[in-house]
Amino acid sequence: MKSVLVIGGGIAGIQASLDLADRGIKVHLVEKTPSIGGVMAQLDKTFPTLDCSMCILAPKMIECFRHPNITLHTLSEVSKVTGSAGDFYVNILEKARYVDASKCTGCGLCSEKCPVRLPSEFQAGMGTRKAIYMPFPQAVPLVACIDSEHCLYFQKGVCRVCEKLCPAVAIDYEQQPREVEVNVSSIIAATGFETYNPQEIGEYGYGRYKNVLTALEFERLICASGPTGGKLERPSDAKISHRIAFVQCVGSRDHRVGVPYCSSICCMYATKEAVLIKEHDPESAVTVFYIDLKVFGQGFQDFVERARDDWGVRYIRGRPGEIREHPFTKDLTIWYENTDTGKVSKTEVDLVVLCTAMVPRPENKELADVLGVELDEYGFLKAQDPLSNPIETNIPGIYVCGCCHGPRDIPESITEASGAVAKAAELIVKVADGGEG
Amino acid sequence: MSDDIDKEQVEFVSLLLQREVSEMDAEVCEQCGKCTSACPVAIYMEGFNPRRLIAKVALGRTDELLESDTIWTCTSCLKCKERCPENISPYDVILVLRNLAVRAGHPYPAGYDETIKAVLEYGVAQQPRMVRTRAHERRDRASLGLPPAEKPRDMKKFNEVLGGIVRAGGSG
Amino acid sequence: MKYALYLGCTIQAEQFGCEISAREVLPRLGVELVDMEGTSCCGFPAFSSLSTIGWFYLSARNLALAENLGLDILTLCNGCYASFVETKHNLEENADLKGFIQEKLRQEGLEYTGDIRVIHIIELLHDLIGTEKISETVTNPLKGIKLAAHPGCHAIRPSSLGRPDNAENPQKLDHLITALGAETMDYPEKTDCCGSMLATASGTTTLTIAAEKLKAVEGYGFDGLVTTCPFCFQMFDGRQGEINDIIDFIFDTDSEELEVPIFYYTQLLGLAMGLKPEKLGLELNLSPVDALVEKIAGGAK
Repeated sequence: MKSVLVIGGGIAGIQASLDLADRGIKVHLVEKTPSIGGVMAQLDKTFPTLDCSMCILAPKMIECFRHPNITLHTLSEVSKVTGSAGDFYVNILEKARYVDASKCTGCGLCSEKCPVRLPSEFQAGMGTRKAIYMPFPQAVPLVACIDSEHCLYFQKGVCRVCEKLCPAVAIDYEQQPREVEVNVSSIIAATGFETYNPQEIGEYGYGRYKNVLTALEFERLICASGPTGGKLERPSDAKISHRIAFVQCVGSRDHRVGVPYCSSICCMYATKEAVLIKEHDPESAVTVFYIDLKVFGQGFQDFVERARDDWGVRYIRGRPGEIREHPFTKDLTIWYENTDTGKVSKTEVDLVVLCTAMVPRPENKELADVLGVELDEYGFLKAQDPLSNPIETNIPGIYVCGCCHGPRDIPESITEASGAVAKAAELIVKVADGGEG
Repeated sequence: MSDDIDKEQVEFVSLLLQREVSEMDAEVCEQCGKCTSACPVAIYMEGFNPRRLIAKVALGRTDELLESDTIWTCTSCLKCKERCPENISPYDVILVLRNLAVRAGHPYPAGYDETIKAVLEYGVAQQPRMVRTRAHERRDRASLGLPPAEKPRDMKKFNEVLGGIVRAGGSG
Repeated sequence: MKYALYLGCTIQAEQFGCEISAREVLPRLGVELVDMEGTSCCGFPAFSSLSTIGWFYLSARNLALAENLGLDILTLCNGCYASFVETKHNLEENADLKGFIQEKLRQEGLEYTGDIRVIHIIELLHDLIGTEKISETVTNPLKGIKLAAHPGCHAIRPSSLGRPDNAENPQKLDHLITALGAETMDYPEKTDCCGSMLATASGTTTLTIAAEKLKAVEGYGFDGLVTTCPFCFQMFDGRQGEINDIIDFIFDTDSEELEVPIFYYTQLLGLAMGLKPEKLGLELNLSPVDALVEKIAGGAK
C-alpha cells in the first residue's frame, strides 16, 4: 500500500498525519521550518475552551515523531510532483541543518554560547534567538539547526563556538541538503496562513508606535513561554499595561488595503486575549472595538457574553479612525465613534492590539505551480466547491485542509484534516481494489 | 449678461452630478464609524456625523440633507476619504449634495455667494487690501515692493463664460 | 528650474509674507519664478461647493495660462494645489468634460491640454531642490529652536490622487525644518486640520479646531509652528488673536492665552540664509514672532 504525503506540519497537517498513521497508512510529513507545530504552537490558549494550546498540541507533535508510520521531513520542501491520483512521484528537498540529528540531544548548549542574536520567528519578533537554535522548547524534532545566512562561520569563516562546545559532537558544517523521491497515493496540503502586516494602515501607527502590536505579537507577550514570561510589559518602557484596546478587522473587510473578506477568527481570539488579560489582572481596562461580532461557532456567543458580563470586557461598536502616540509617554490615544450612540470620543491606553487579517502565504504560488493546483482570487489554494466539495482540489488525489484554503479556526482545521484523510484513504482502498485513481 | 441657460451646460452639470451619485456606492457602507471618528468637526458638533450622512444617502433621504445645515459644515480635511475601508468619500458626497442643494434653491452660507460674486466681478475671491503689521503700520502690495495683483485680462469675456457655467441648471 | 508662479487669492490679496519670502529665497536656490498674466481664483472652496464645473473651469484656465508660457506651474498654497490636481485628474478621466471645458476656454482664447506638471512648494523644496542643497545655503542655522511641522490637509490627502507627502506619516516638511538646523519632532496632531474651511459656515467651531491644535503644539514645548499653506497660515497666525479673545469659551474653562509663533516656511528659510526679517515680510505676521525672530536674526552675521 502506498503512503500519503502531507505538506505542512501545523495542527491540520499533524492531525491528518496521525489519523492516517493510526489507520495503518504510512505518512511523509513535510514541514518547511525546523519544527512542526505551526501557529498553534505560538498561541497561549485556544478559544473557546481556554485550553493551554501547547498542552494540547505537544503530545500530538511527539506522537508524530514517534509513530512508526510517520516519517518527518523538517526543514524540507516539496520541489517536484509528477504522476496522478493513486500514483504520485514527489521530490522532497531536505535542507541541511548542519547538525547531525542522530547525535544531537537537544541540550541547548550551542544556542547558549552562540554570539549571534536575531529576532525569533517563534516569538513573532518580540524576542530573540541565536544563529544556531531550536525554535521553541517543545520543538519536534528537538534538534538544533544553523541559520547559515546569519551564522558567523558560514558568512565570515570565523567563530565555530558551537562545534567546539557540543558535548555530542553533533555539529556538521559540511552537511549537504538531500533530495528524496517518494511514491505516494495522494497529497494533503495543509500549509496554513500568514498574518497581514498592518504597517500600510498608517493611521494605526504599527511599525512607528512601539506599543501598537499585532495579535500574534500580543499572544507571545501574554504567554508564559514568551519573552517577558507572560508579564504585560509593553515594548516602549516595560511598563505593565493595564489599559488595553483591541481593534478588530485590521486589514480585513477592507477594499482600500488588505483583503476584503472576513478573517473568521479575530472576534474570537480578541475575546480570548481579552479574557486572558482579565485573568492576569482583573483590574485591567480592556476594550474591544468592533464592527460586528462574528461568533458563530459552538459555544462562541456564550464565550463573548461571559467575557462581557462576567469579566467586564468592554465592547464598543466602532472602527477607530485614528490611533495617536504621545511623544513623551508613548501612551496611545484612540479616537472612535460609538456607533450605537453617535458620540465621538477618545480613550487613552497603554497598549493597542491590532487584530490583523489572515492572508495566504506568498509561497502558495510556488506550491500551486508544483502541485498543479489552482489558487483562488486571493491567493489561497482552491477547493473544488465551498459547499459540496470543500476538500478536493482541481487535481484528483490532492486535497486541502486548514487555513491554506481560507480563514478558519482550529476545530474546523482539525475536522477538515480528518475529512482529507477520509478522502485519501478512500483513494487507497479504490486503487487497492483495482479501481482507477 | 444673458439670462439664457445654456442647455448643453445644464446637461453637463447634471451628468457630472449623476456620475458622482452613482459612484457614491453609499450602499456598501458598513456603518463602521471610521469616518466620523476621524472627523474634526464631529468632535465639536454633535449634529455633524459623516457616517449617518452616508446612511441617509443610502436610504434615499437626500432631501433631508439638501435642506440641512449639516452639509455646509464639512471642513474638507479629507480624513474620511483617506481612511474609509470601502473607498467611500463622505467629503465628495457632501460636495455633490452642496451642488444639488444650491440648484434646488436651498439656503446656504452667504459667504460663498460673496466669493462667487467677487470672482465673477474681479476674477479673484478677494481684492488685494491694505494690511496691518504687528507694529500697527499699514502696508499694501505696492509699499511692500510686490508686483500689482493679477486678474483676467478680458473681464467681460471671463464673466460671460464663467457666469454661464455657474448659472447653468438653476439659481446663481 | 523655471516655473510659472501661481499665487492664488489668499496670498495675492493679503498674506503678503508668504509671497515676499518666496520671491526672496527661491531665486537663491536656483529657481526662476515667472509671473503669470491674467490669472484668476483657482475656485477652491466656494466654486467646488457651489459649482463643480465652474471650479474645474477656473483651475483649468490657470493651467492653460501656464501652458501658454510653456512652464510647469508652482503653487504656494495647498488649496490651489488640490484644485489643480483634482481638475487635471477629472478632465483626464472624462473626455466629454475635458472637451466641454476646452471649448469654453477657447472662448477666452485659451488652450488646455493638461500636459504641464503641478508643483507644490514642498515638492519643489524637498524633492526637486533637496534638503542637502538647502542646507548648503544655510549660514545662520536655527540652532536650539524646535518647530512643529504643519503640512496641512491638502498637501497630504487624499493619497489616492497623489500628494506631495504621505497621508499618515508626512516627513518632508520635517526634513525641510531640520535642513535649517532647527529641531522638530513627530506629534499626534500633526496631520490635523486647521479648520479654516469651516469659516464660511461656522463661527466658533472653526476657531476651536485651530485652538486645539495650537494648544497641543504649545504643550509639547515647540517654539513655533511652520506651514506651507496661506489658508492655514491665515488661521493660525492671523486669527490667533481672535482665538485668544474667546479662549475661555473655546476650552470651557479659564485658559491662558495662546502664544504660538507661526511662520510660512520660506520666511524661516530666509532667516537661516542670513536674510534680514524685513526682506521676508516678518513684520506682517500677527502671531508673537518677535522674540524668536530676534533670537534667530541675532545670530546672523
